[in-house]
Amino acid sequence: MKIALFDYGAGNLHSLGKAVEALGPEVVVTSDWPAALALDALLLPGVGAFGHAAAALPDDLAPLRSALEAGLPCLGICLGMQLLFDASDESAGEGIGYIPGRVTRLKASIVPQMGWNDVETGPDPIFDGVAGLVAYYANSFVCAPGDPDRVIATSEYAGVRFAASARRANTWGLQFHPEKSSTQGRRILENWVALARGAQ
Amino acid sequence: MLRPRIIVCLDVKDGRVVKGAQFQNLRDVGDPVELATRYEAEGADEIVFLDVSASREGRGTLLDTVRSTAERLFIPLTVGGGVRTVEDVGPLLRAGADKISANTAAVLNPDLISDAAERFGSQCVVASIDALRLPDRQVGDGRGAAQEGSGWSCYTHGGSQPTGLDAVAWASECRQRGAGEILLTSIDRDGARTGYAIDLTRAVADAVPIPVIASGGAGRPEHLRDAFTEGHASAALVAGILHDGVTTVGALKSALAGWNVNVRPTG
Repeated sequence: MKIALFDYGAGNLHSLGKAVEALGPEVVVTSDWPAALALDALLLPGVGAFGHAAAALPDDLAPLRSALEAGLPCLGICLGMQLLFDASDESAGEGIGYIPGRVTRLKASIVPQMGWNDVETGPDPIFDGVAGLVAYYANSFVCAPGDPDRVIATSEYAGVRFAASARRANTWGLQFHPEKSSTQGRRILENWVALARGAQ
Repeated sequence: MLRPRIIVCLDVKDGRVVKGAQFQNLRDVGDPVELATRYEAEGADEIVFLDVSASREGRGTLLDTVRSTAERLFIPLTVGGGVRTVEDVGPLLRAGADKISANTAAVLNPDLISDAAERFGSQCVVASIDALRLPDRQVGDGRGAAQEGSGWSCYTHGGSQPTGLDAVAWASECRQRGAGEILLTSIDRDGARTGYAIDLTRAVADAVPIPVIASGGAGRPEHLRDAFTEGHASAALVAGILHDGVTTVGALKSALAGWNVNVRPTG
């Protein structure tokens, strides 16, 4: 299996790429959309600012949306999850709009949320084997899906519960960083790779 | 709820982890990849590499060290010491660092913080502040004017050069410029193992709306507890007591959990 790791041009892709490669698939780092969509699965990493990353999305979002709708397995991490939504309060720019909803600023006395937080997971198979999940976050913004049924896990920060994860069909978003969440995070990546394989 | 973090700091020079007092008499204590992954297995929440290489060659080696560590480490990695300009940031992040920290370079050129935050995001910019308590509370603002300060002044170049900057004021400026975290070291306490400077930590943590990492002085588990509960720190940096085998991350976390400090469980 070949997985496209999309490169918006900023930040650490190395850890995520190596973590996924260790699970078997070949990881192809690319900033070319047609090439990315031709592979078996798509990873949207979680580094940088929304506006900058949105600018790296294709001018015509239709082929990307169609690919996701047709079942291309996708995992968006942190900012990568936020890109799956329509727009963000962080900066101008259009997201992929595959999961309806908006990205909003965390309302808390200390922002960014930086560190390990408890995640209450639902029955989704991406969370198999990670009971009592505590995951690493580094974010100032969170996703507010229009349809609450899209939310498959939640965390609480400064008294506010937010979407730790959202899913639509074969597309998953994780607001935390599985590649930085030690043993449990690697298990989640392993689960996603298995789901992506199963979807082929 | 966010868990208070234990961050393990390793001094790295020419591809090896070294140890010594005030950067003097450095001796080799091991391989960075091996030590970092061992601390992850023990329950460390993050790793910091502080590059103490003096040479350009050493800084080149740092990228290799970061790359090989990031391939096997699955907790966040911060790299400090090798960041002089914003051009140094991209290569470190691409090599696998999650955050960079800057101290001297940021004081000499505060735009380093703003530029790095704008280009790569606040979440990867750690402003490192080395503070020393002054005998009286009169400090300058670093630009000539004397004013009432916090009583803590910033130093650069490994704690050797006074800047005249007030620690709390400088922390606020770093945050305004986009720093996502403050790594706050008390020079007085560094290596003393008599506890973190709680008053300094609290003064800065209460003044800035970003996480503060207490550093300098960890000797016993209660020092970490006090940094979290009294100092309002989000994280505590630990180095010497772990490297010398005085305690382990697991033992620190067990003691903290016993005091109802909600640390991330190990293993």
